[in-house]
Amino acid sequence: MRKNVMGFMSIVGFVMISGCSSSGAEVSIDDLEEARYEIDPNTPAWQVDDEENVELTWYVNAEWFDRAYGEDVITKKLKEDLNLDITFITGDDSNLNTLFSGGDLPDLITIFDGQSQAALRAPTWALPLRELADHYDPYFHQVAQEQTLDWYQLEDGYTYGYPSYSNTIDDYQADIIPGSDAFIIREDIYEALGEPDLSTPEQFITSLQQMKEAFPDVVPFAFRGFGSDGDVGSIGDTFQNHLGVPIADENGDWYNRNLDDSYLDWIRTFNEAYQLGLISDDNFSDDNTVFEEKVERGQYGSVFASGIAQLSGSLQTNVARDPDQRYIAVDGPKNPNGNEPTLNQAGLSGWTVTYITNKVSDPQKAIQLFTYLLSDEGQYLTTFGVEGETFEFNENGKAVLHEEVLQMRNDNPEEYKKSYRLGEFWFFGHDGFALEHGENEASIAVDQIQKWTKGKLKPQFLIENINPDQGTAEARSLVNINSTWATTLASMIRAKDDAEFDRLLGEYETFLETNNFAAVEAIRNEKMNENRERLGL
Amino acid sequence: MAVLRPKSTVPTKRNKPAGIKENRLFNTLNVLFMIVFTTIIIFPIWDVIVGSFSSSASVATPGIRLWPEQFSLDAYRVVFNDPSIWNAFLISVLKTVIGVTTSVFFTAMVAYAMSKQDLIGRKIFIALGVGTMFFSGGMIPIYLLMRSLGLLDNFLVYIIPALFSFYNMLILMNFFREIPTSLEESARIDGAGVWRIFLQIILPLSTPVLAVIALFNGVYQWNDFMTARLYITNEALYPIQMKLYEIIVQQQAANMQNVVGSVIIPTSSQTIQLATIVVATVPIVLVYPFLQRFLISGMMIGAVKE
Repeated sequence: MRKNVMGFMSIVGFVMISGCSSSGAEVSIDDLEEARYEIDPNTPAWQVDDEENVELTWYVNAEWFDRAYGEDVITKKLKEDLNLDITFITGDDSNLNTLFSGGDLPDLITIFDGQSQAALRAPTWALPLRELADHYDPYFHQVAQEQTLDWYQLEDGYTYGYPSYSNTIDDYQADIIPGSDAFIIREDIYEALGEPDLSTPEQFITSLQQMKEAFPDVVPFAFRGFGSDGDVGSIGDTFQNHLGVPIADENGDWYNRNLDDSYLDWIRTFNEAYQLGLISDDNFSDDNTVFEEKVERGQYGSVFASGIAQLSGSLQTNVARDPDQRYIAVDGPKNPNGNEPTLNQAGLSGWTVTYITNKVSDPQKAIQLFTYLLSDEGQYLTTFGVEGETFEFNENGKAVLHEEVLQMRNDNPEEYKKSYRLGEFWFFGHDGFALEHGENEASIAVDQIQKWTKGKLKPQFLIENINPDQGTAEARSLVNINSTWATTLASMIRAKDDAEFDRLLGEYETFLETNNFAAVEAIRNEKMNENRERLGL
Repeated sequence: MAVLRPKSTVPTKRNKPAGIKENRLFNTLNVLFMIVFTTIIIFPIWDVIVGSFSSSASVATPGIRLWPEQFSLDAYRVVFNDPSIWNAFLISVLKTVIGVTTSVFFTAMVAYAMSKQDLIGRKIFIALGVGTMFFSGGMIPIYLLMRSLGLLDNFLVYIIPALFSFYNMLILMNFFREIPTSLEESARIDGAGVWRIFLQIILPLSTPVLAVIALFNGVYQWNDFMTARLYITNEALYPIQMKLYEIIVQQQAANMQNVVGSVIIPTSSQTIQLATIVVATVPIVLVYPFLQRFLISGMMIGAVKE
C-alpha cells in the first residue's frame, strides 16, 4: 500500500508542476507602441482615432450588473462614438480570484474595494493611467480629477485605478453633493403631534410615546438594521455624524467615536425607548429588503435613515401609496454638547474602481474610453442620455429630460432600463453632475430630505482607508472587535436596565484591551498621517 | 404421563378482538400522524407556490398563505420575459440528458472492470480514486485545469468533468460483484465477448442501481450552476439555473446602484425568487415518477435475501 501511495503522490506532484501554464503576452508601459494617430493635449484622442471596430472585454465584479451592450441609448452612442464593442463579464470574488490566478485577464476590470489585495497589487496586473494617457491621450489630464488620481497613487508612485463617485475637496466646497443620511419622520404624524422638538432625550422619548398612543399601527422609531461583519446599520458612524461626533481628538489622533459620551447618551436614550416598546425587536433581525419594504408601506413613524439614494425607490413607492404619509427630514436628535451635524458622503475613494489591465488588447482605445466617460460628453450621456433623443437644454443651459422618458421610468421601469439605462452606467459617475447640470423636478419623496442635508456635509478624507491591510493580524483582530461591537450595541439598546447597559459597555472596553486594539489604533494613526500628507494638510 | 404440549397459538375469543382493536388504533394513529407529517412537508412547498403567484405587497406581509391574496403573474412575467430563458432551458435539458447517459455509461464501464479481481493495477486505481475522493485540488487549480483542457466556454465542461464519479463507481462496483459469475461464464461459453456480456447481461440486470445513479446525476446536472458560474462567460451556454440566478441578482441591481431615482421594479425580489424556485423545480419533480418504478423494484431486490 505504501508503494501505491508514493506512486500516487508522485503523479500528483507532476500534475501540479505541469498544470501551471504560462499566460498571454503582457503590455508594459515602457514598450508601448506609437499611437496610430497624432496626439494633441487639447483634443480627445477618440475624436481622431479612426480605427474601426475595436473589441474590449470588461469584467465587472458585480453579478447584478446588466451586461447588455449596444442596445440602450447610452451604450449605442458609446459604440458609435468610439467605434468600440464591449463584452461585459460579471462575477463575484471567486470569479475574480480565478481570473487572477488563471492569468488570462480581460482588458478592463472594475472592482468594489480600492483597498483590497487586488487593488494593492495593481502594479503586477494593471497599467498606470497617467503614463498611458501621456502616451495615447493627454486630454485625459483635463478631465480626470487630479486629487482623485493622487489619492489612488500607490507606493510606487503610479496610479492604476480610477473610481466612480469620487468626491474631491472642491466638490464638497462647491456644496453640490447631496447628503445621504437624515432623521426622517412621517409628515402626517409629525403634523398631528404638533411638529414637536426632538432634540433632547426627554423630548424624543415623550414625542415617541405620544406617537405610539396616537398611531398604534406604526413602529415609532427604527433605523437601518444590522448587517453582517460588524455592520451596525445606520446607528453607528452615520448617527455619530448626525451628532457631529469628531473624527479626531484635539491632538489629531484617531478618536474612538463609539465610546464618545454624547453618542452613548443617545444610545442610552434608545435603550429607554426600547424598554418602553418604542423600538421593535424586528429592527435587529430584519434585513435591508424587509426594512425597505416597511418604509414602502409607511410602517415606521420615524427612521434614522442612511443611504437615501438606495432608499429613494422605497420612499417613492411610499409617496405613491399615500402622499400624506411622505417621510420628511427634521433636525431630530441633537448633540448635548451643541455640535452641529457633520454628514458624510463618499469621499475621494468613491465607490467602484476601474483598471486597465496589462493584458489589454488595445491600450489606446481603453484610455480613450476613460477619457470619454470622464469628459462632459460622457457625463451627459450617462446621466441624461442623448440631446434631442432623451433630453433638451433649456434657456438656463440645463438638461431637462423628455416627458416620455420620465413617464416610462414610472410606468414601465423594465422597458426604461432596457432602452435608456440612465444612471446605470456608473463606472465614472459623479454625484454632483445631475444636480449641477440638470433641471428636472426632483422626486417629491427625496427632494426635501436632500435639501435638509445641504450645508451639513463635511469631508472625512482624513479617516478614509485607515484600517489595517487585509490579511494582517491587526485586520483579524479588527474583524473580531467590529463584530463584538455590533452585538454589544444591539444588546445595549435592548438592555433590561442601566446596570446591564453599563456592564455590556464595560465588557466591550475590556475586549478592546485584550484584543490588541492598541495596535489597530497605532496603524490608524499612522495611516491618518499618510492621508494628511496626500491631502497636503 | 403428562404430555408436554405447547400452549395453543390459536387465538381465543378473548384475545382476538383485542388484537384487531390494537391494529385499528395503530392504523388510525398512523394515518393521523402521516396526515400531520405530510402537511408539515407540503405546507411550505404550497406557500412557495402561492407566493410565486402573489403580488409583492401581499408576500411582504408575514404569515403563511393558503391562497394568493392578490393574484399576480408579475413574477413569472419577469422570469419568462427574457427570451434567452428558453435557450437556457434547452441547455439544461441537453446537459442533463447527455450528462446522465454518458456519465452512467462511463461510470458503469469502469465499475465493471474494477469489479474484476484480476484487473491489473486494480489496487492502484482504487488508491488513486480514494485519494481524490477525500482531497480535492480546490477551486483555482481546477479552474486552471479546465483552462488547459480548453473547456472554458465550452459545452463539454458540463459533460467531461462529470463523466466519472469515484463514489458512484464504488456503488456500481459492489452491485456488479453481487451478480453471480456463473452467469458470465455460461455466456462466455456460448461465445459472448466482454462487450456483449456487459451490454446485454450486466447492464439489464442492474437497472435498479443504474436508476439510482442516474437520479443522482440527473438532480446534480439539473441543479448545478457553479460550473457555469466559474467556467462559462458566454450567455448562450448558460443553463437554466444560472439564468434564474442572474434574474434574481439583477433584480437587486436597483438597490445596489448608488443612484437617486434609479428604476424601481414593481415585483419584489422575493416573489421572483419564489417563481424561480417553482420554475427550476417543476421539471425535475416531473421526471421523478418515471424513475420511481425502477427505484421501487430496486428496493425489492435488496429485500430478498438468499
